[in-house]
Amino acid sequence: MTNDDNSVVQLTAVRKEYSDSVALDGVSLGIAAGEAVAVMGPSGSGKSTLLNLVAGLDRPTSGSIVVNGEDLGDLTEKGLALFRRRRVGMIFQFFNLLDDLSALDNVALAAQLTGTSAAKARTRALELLDELGIAGRRNLHPAQLSGGERQRVAVARALMNRPALLLADEPTGALDSRSGEQVMDLLLDLNQIGQTLLLVTHDERLAKQCATRVIHVVDGRIASTSDLEHTP
Amino acid sequence: MSAVWRVARSAMGRRRVQTAVIALVVAVSTGTSVLALGLLVSASGPFQRAHAEQNGAHLVIAYDTTRVSDEQLAATATRPGVEAAAGPFGEVTLDTARSTAARVGSLTTVGRADPAGPVDRLDLWSGRWAAAPGEIVLNVRQGSDDPVPLGSRIEIPGEPVLTVVGFAYSVSASADAWVTPVQLAALHPTTAQVLYRFTTAGTGAEVDAGRAAVTAGVPAAAVLGEQSYLTVEERFDADIGVYVPFLVPFGFLGLAVAVLIVANVVSGAVVSGVRTIGVLKSLGFTPNQVMAVYLLMVLAPAAVGCVVGTIGGNLVARPVLADAFGVGASGIDAWVDVAALVGLPLVVALAAFVSALRARRLPATAAITAGSGPRSGRAVVIQRRLASARLPRSVSLGLGMPFARPARSMLTLAAIVLGVMTVTLSIGVTLSVNAYNDAVRPVHPDRVEFLGGLRGDLSLPADAPGPHPAPTLTDAGDEAALRSLPGSVHVLASAERTVHLLGSQEKPSVVFSRGDSAALGPGIAEGRQAGPGEAVAPSRFLNRRGLALGDTITLELGGNRTQVTFVGVTLTNNADTIFTGWSTLDVLAPGSRAESYTVQLAPGTTREAFVSAVHARDPGLEALPVRDGTSSQAVVLVGSASLLTLVLALVSALGVFNTVVLHTHERRRDLGMLKAIGMTPRQVTAMMITSVGALGVVGGLLGVPLGYLAHRLVGPAMMRAAQSDVFGFVIDVYHAPTLVLLGLAGIVIAVLGALLPAGRAARLPIAAVLHNE
Ligand SMILES: Nc1ncnc2c1ncn2[C@@H]1O[C@H](COP(=O)(O)OP(=O)(O)O)[C@@H](O)[C@H]1O
Ligand SMILES: [Mg+2]
Repeated sequence: MTNDDNSVVQLTAVRKEYSDSVALDGVSLGIAAGEAVAVMGPSGSGKSTLLNLVAGLDRPTSGSIVVNGEDLGDLTEKGLALFRRRRVGMIFQFFNLLDDLSALDNVALAAQLTGTSAAKARTRALELLDELGIAGRRNLHPAQLSGGERQRVAVARALMNRPALLLADEPTGALDSRSGEQVMDLLLDLNQIGQTLLLVTHDERLAKQCATRVIHVVDGRIASTSDLEHTP
Repeated sequence: MSAVWRVARSAMGRRRVQTAVIALVVAVSTGTSVLALGLLVSASGPFQRAHAEQNGAHLVIAYDTTRVSDEQLAATATRPGVEAAAGPFGEVTLDTARSTAARVGSLTTVGRADPAGPVDRLDLWSGRWAAAPGEIVLNVRQGSDDPVPLGSRIEIPGEPVLTVVGFAYSVSASADAWVTPVQLAALHPTTAQVLYRFTTAGTGAEVDAGRAAVTAGVPAAAVLGEQSYLTVEERFDADIGVYVPFLVPFGFLGLAVAVLIVANVVSGAVVSGVRTIGVLKSLGFTPNQVMAVYLLMVLAPAAVGCVVGTIGGNLVARPVLADAFGVGASGIDAWVDVAALVGLPLVVALAAFVSALRARRLPATAAITAGSGPRSGRAVVIQRRLASARLPRSVSLGLGMPFARPARSMLTLAAIVLGVMTVTLSIGVTLSVNAYNDAVRPVHPDRVEFLGGLRGDLSLPADAPGPHPAPTLTDAGDEAALRSLPGSVHVLASAERTVHLLGSQEKPSVVFSRGDSAALGPGIAEGRQAGPGEAVAPSRFLNRRGLALGDTITLELGGNRTQVTFVGVTLTNNADTIFTGWSTLDVLAPGSRAESYTVQLAPGTTREAFVSAVHARDPGLEALPVRDGTSSQAVVLVGSASLLTLVLALVSALGVFNTVVLHTHERRRDLGMLKAIGMTPRQVTAMMITSVGALGVVGGLLGVPLGYLAHRLVGPAMMRAAQSDVFGFVIDVYHAPTLVLLGLAGIVIAVLGALLPAGRAARLPIAAVLHNE
């Protein structure tokens, strides 16, 4: 993939070393707006590392990462935080919701960090929860929600600031298959209305169902890429 | 057991910060406890302690050696009831008034070969003992002003020159100075002192009985004088007693803070390890083994901290105690060290045990998922309110954090309250001491004091090394000259005499003055300035003698008598000096001249110009240097108040530090997520600081009134201990701005404690935190 105006993510020769291992080595990858890319590969192959680098949670040892026109290498810690806040939405395997906050406040939080007023943030959060079909659970706390519901709250939170790119690291990994499918359907729907998506999953069936492209990572390198014809 | 140790060791390795915090907190707390206990112990009966420590004499008797033989004196020491005796030591009185070291006054000088012995073991705290003729050691309490510098020469006309080679302290007040027995013999003594310790000497009657026993075989006329330790004790208490009401509350505050912090840190360590507990249980550790791991994890660093803290506490406490109580030789009682070495680990073990017991009862699954349910109902309600508050979200999140861990927050709050209370009390004490000091020892840079010759009741021998020439003008001439010089606003002429107080054995100093006494006389705390036939005195003078304003006393000097009535209480510190008008001196010693003149200079007049103008008129008037307003007692009080405040504020800041470390540790997953969704490092820092900043605000609001109340109790108690009246201006030292600033102390403690761990939280690597989950 070349770096054209349409590209949301552009990785060039990215390498990530940890003190005792090389997690990514020579990864180049482009993702165009509106694409849904699934990353697959064995455990420990570097999938999460790849996602974290794109999300600006960590910095590569070498190589460049450009997301939405911003070169992450040029950003300070604060710049990276602002980048995460405005450009990307992140979904984790274990939801990572704040236990003390209601579903609604967990979602609203993402906007409140940018200085949006509580009332405005809650209105938008409620819209999103409504779109995701869990508006009725808005006043419950994470512990009172099912796994699928928690992940939908997490998705709502990721969408709060209208990110250019939605990142999901094994979003169904902690869910039973039925809830997992529901979350996948949700992501697919989002992609259908234009949301660019980069997700890591173990489940080949799910990957094929919602991704336009599947990338296989083995030992920190991209082993193969397969473009999929989508049947909605 | 070795598996337990291995697990505990690796757990300590994984939580290096926490382990270090435990060691540090226990070290500082132990040090504080040693200091606090040392203060409490020393403050309870400082005289008795010092007296016991030095094997002090119960009775010192001076015998006339022309009337009693050495054998007779030796026999007095073997009478029944005598536990130990020292001497006879030759004794002479050196009158230094005519010497180069007039400041030291008349010296009761005793010949002693060494400072040790069965009775009155001296604390030789500076320099060395007199080893050869020509050397002298002065009796000075450590922490009081040195009368002359070490190495000074005391030249008394007609006597050998004596060089000061050391300062030693005798709690028994057996002498003012010591020389070698050979040197003393050269001074031709006719007096010898014997120091006695009796088997029972708890009361005056028992001391009297002991006296009767030892003097039974001695002619009555041979007993020249005697001094019971009970008399010495009274004087000692008036000097040292000031420190007691001041140091005791600090002692208790220190102990309380130390115990609180240790309990907080240890239970926090256990609670935050609850997840690991679950893992251990699922690995097949028995509940007892889990407990053992936790106790070890906490006790190992605590033991190290305890030893370090005890050593440090001794190092800090020694100089403080030596300054305050003048007994530095033995420092802190061994049992205080033992109590700290045993007590602190006990507090640690108890706090760890209680928390570990709770952990032990926790089922494995509950332990693993601990922390993933909503916390308390109240926390949830408060979080909802905060979520809609008009505050930056990072601040409102931080405000909610204390409610998730109410017990820890209360302990942290208590530590901050005690810290603020200490700061408030100590600032109050400092302000009071300064207010008192400024009042009784005012520094007046715009005044010049001139000496117009020696005191009239002392005469200079013809061959005396005369440091100052005699005035050339008459008394009236000098006064008139001083008044007429440009730049002179007020003039006060004074003379001082030792006068007999009729009806007692006492000889107080009386200062007679004429001129502008309203402007230049001593400050009046109560009543008014003395007119003719009237006198003013410090409250210590009046209180010691049971006198009140309106009472009349009779003064006698050289056969002349006159009466004066007390009309005012002065703000002066010397309990043996009273003030009256010149007309009184005209009756007691007609024709006396003033020996000092105080001049108030007009603004803009320089001291140097005025002094040279005076010298042009009368070169015999010697200008004294500007008086130094500091007092060693004030320096000690303010110094130890500052030190104690610093230590206690540091300890409570450490408590805050620990709380934030624990918050960060427990919430690192939340922190990672918050950063992942775009919380900036600054917002994270703000959140963590807010989480304890709120406690700091509340701590300030509670601590300031408590410290204020403590000062209301401590201040008057200190003044009464100093045998002074309680003056309002010494107690009412807090002003609104001061109180507001003190209220901020809580926030300062909280922010200082939180700064480091909050910064660490802000730098938490997100990917690693989330990766480990
Ligand atoms: N924070 C980290 N510190 C050290 N090594 C890490 C860290 N994160 C990941 N790794 C290592 O990098 C490699 C890739 O990890 P990861 O990207 O999590 O793999 P995946 O998500 O594909 O399972 C692994 O060997 C892992 O142990
Ligand atoms: Mg992974």
